Amino acid sequence: MGILVNKDSKVIVQGMTGREGASHSRAMKDFGTQVVAGVTPGKGGMDFEGWPIYNSVSEAKKATDANVSIIFVPPAGAADAVLEAAHAAIPLIILITEGVPTVDMMRAVQEVKMLDAQSREHGGEGIRLIGGNCPGLVTNGEAKVGIMPNKIYTKPGRIGLISRSGTLTYEAAKLLNDAGMGTSTTVGIGGDPVIGTTFADVLPMFEADEGTDAIVVIGEIGGADEEAAAEYIKHNMKKPVVAFISGRSAPAGKRMGHAGAIIMGNVGTPESKLAAFADAGVPVADTMPEIIDLVKAALNK
Amino acid sequence: MKLHEYQGKEILRQFGVNVQEGKVAKTPDEVRQIARDYGQSVVVKAQVHVGGRGKAGGVKFSATPDKAYENGEKILGMDIKGLTVNKVLVTKAVDIDAGVEYYIGMIVDRNVQSFTLMASAEGGVDIEEVAAETPEKIVHYRVDPITGLRPYEARAVAIQAGFKGNLNKIADMMVKLSQAALERDAVLVEINPLFIDADGTPIALDTKFEIDDNAMYRHKDLADWREMEAEHPLEIEASKYGFAYVKLDDGNVGVLGNGAGIVMTSLDVVNRAGAKPANFLDIGGGAKAEIVYNAVKLVSKDTDVKAIFINIFGGITRADEVAKGVIQALNDGILTKPVRMRIAGTAEEEAKALLAEVNSPLIQMYPNMFDAAAEAAKEANAASAQTENK
Repeated sequence: MGILVNKDSKVIVQGMTGREGASHSRAMKDFGTQVVAGVTPGKGGMDFEGWPIYNSVSEAKKATDANVSIIFVPPAGAADAVLEAAHAAIPLIILITEGVPTVDMMRAVQEVKMLDAQSREHGGEGIRLIGGNCPGLVTNGEAKVGIMPNKIYTKPGRIGLISRSGTLTYEAAKLLNDAGMGTSTTVGIGGDPVIGTTFADVLPMFEADEGTDAIVVIGEIGGADEEAAAEYIKHNMKKPVVAFISGRSAPAGKRMGHAGAIIMGNVGTPESKLAAFADAGVPVADTMPEIIDLVKAALNK
Repeated sequence: MKLHEYQGKEILRQFGVNVQEGKVAKTPDEVRQIARDYGQSVVVKAQVHVGGRGKAGGVKFSATPDKAYENGEKILGMDIKGLTVNKVLVTKAVDIDAGVEYYIGMIVDRNVQSFTLMASAEGGVDIEEVAAETPEKIVHYRVDPITGLRPYEARAVAIQAGFKGNLNKIADMMVKLSQAALERDAVLVEINPLFIDADGTPIALDTKFEIDDNAMYRHKDLADWREMEAEHPLEIEASKYGFAYVKLDDGNVGVLGNGAGIVMTSLDVVNRAGAKPANFLDIGGGAKAEIVYNAVKLVSKDTDVKAIFINIFGGITRADEVAKGVIQALNDGILTKPVRMRIAGTAEEEAKALLAEVNSPLIQMYPNMFDAAAEAAKEANAASAQTENK
């Protein structure tokens, strides 16, 4: 069980022959993911460590029947790579690249949403973009389509994890693992201001997933995605949700590494996020290890 | 990247926005010459990357060239919130009472995953004040990032905002503002005040313009505009190493880690331990010893830093590489402040062995981030107290 990816997912890698693309293709294969092909324009026909390389996503899809694409293309071409995958009707597109211009992301996200709506109108399964600037997805024990270290995912479990940060995703997954709980699916949604999938998009999937009992949301300062998530939880979720917010001591007006982690005026403050979660009855951990206590408490209720 | 008013105006002018005429001066003599050439009253405006320059005395109306010289002398070299004024913009003055002041702006709005156009008839004041006190006086409109703002949309927004004057000219300025924002990768661009003169013609009197750093690669013509003196010297050095670094005020613990999320959390943990972080420093994933060495070197240069907290979750990053970098800094005499670190994950045991070999009291490793942060906080606060007592 779990959401979005599983052992049957067939994955292509856009930018497989680059340094990052190559090393993570190997790591995904080691995890057990069905990596079926790579796409590098101009290198079509090449054999890369046993994987066929295609010039375009549509060629790769036709040949392999892939239903997931993970993108390691450098920032200047990343949004174009997303659009190529979306127009080739790849239902799940994961953009790992950090540093994509925001205007490019605005345009890509809008177009993907339009293609998604069209696909659904015609009875298709839709098209979803996750990221950019995200660590990707893991469904524990089944497939990893991302860059998380393999060894922290040793114990499949029943806790869903959603996070804006890469390293804190690893930290939380390891804590859950070490506490004997383990994770179902981990979704890194990304640290950029404009991303394809938000907390509020992922929560209903976990609510519907039979393999997930509780959800951990790792948020941070900046924007209002946590507030939107709290609103959704308040009105729609039956499963318990536990939250953590990073950057609570960060000063206003300074960008904390992630392009999206900035308090602008009164938007994006930790106070606003804490208040929203409190209003939704979502306990917020003060420290990462406290997440474990809160999850345990929520499950025992 | 934040632009100065004169730079923002230059970009808007390229897109055909009617901008109030002005010239940059670096000396009072130049200010007087510009005022003479204009042959009318002028405004002398400090060009610094901080808000509130008007309140700080950095904007002065000058009726005569001599008065302009005098004001130039006052403003040039002035300190505004820690930044020295090196340049002023001298613009033709307008008779504000003969027209009205509005506000228009485009801002990246993650909630609508695009730009939001904001328009308000309450111009000439800080828009955040209007937003806080009378939010109903600001019209918000999502701009399609693919098509940009179209004239009919601009007219509708102008009407809704209650703008008086030449509707077509005002809408045209809004469309051009949208073009500038999209083509120049703005994070934020404001025209405030947007002055409507007695004839109903819109004129941009002042502007704020900030460009997306991720998009700077395609605006190479603007690279020269990045002013290093306006940034903290350590931030400039950090950018040479490619680090995400932010200098923080009133701190005493240097903080570094691998990833924005973990560093943000490290700042929180230092705070909870009763000390103050002096910086944010993300060394990125997969860092080798040399990168760690440079990071330690950078943080050690900060005289505010009394102890260093290193927080690494080793996935792609190897703990032994981190240890090697820190040890190298110690051996080279760069590291003179206590380092308290938590390195978990890949090659953790190798890192421990390396540190045991060195056996320096300056470098201690802890199994979790809280103990490491608490020890760093203790060391830093003790050192800070000692400095104060001297």
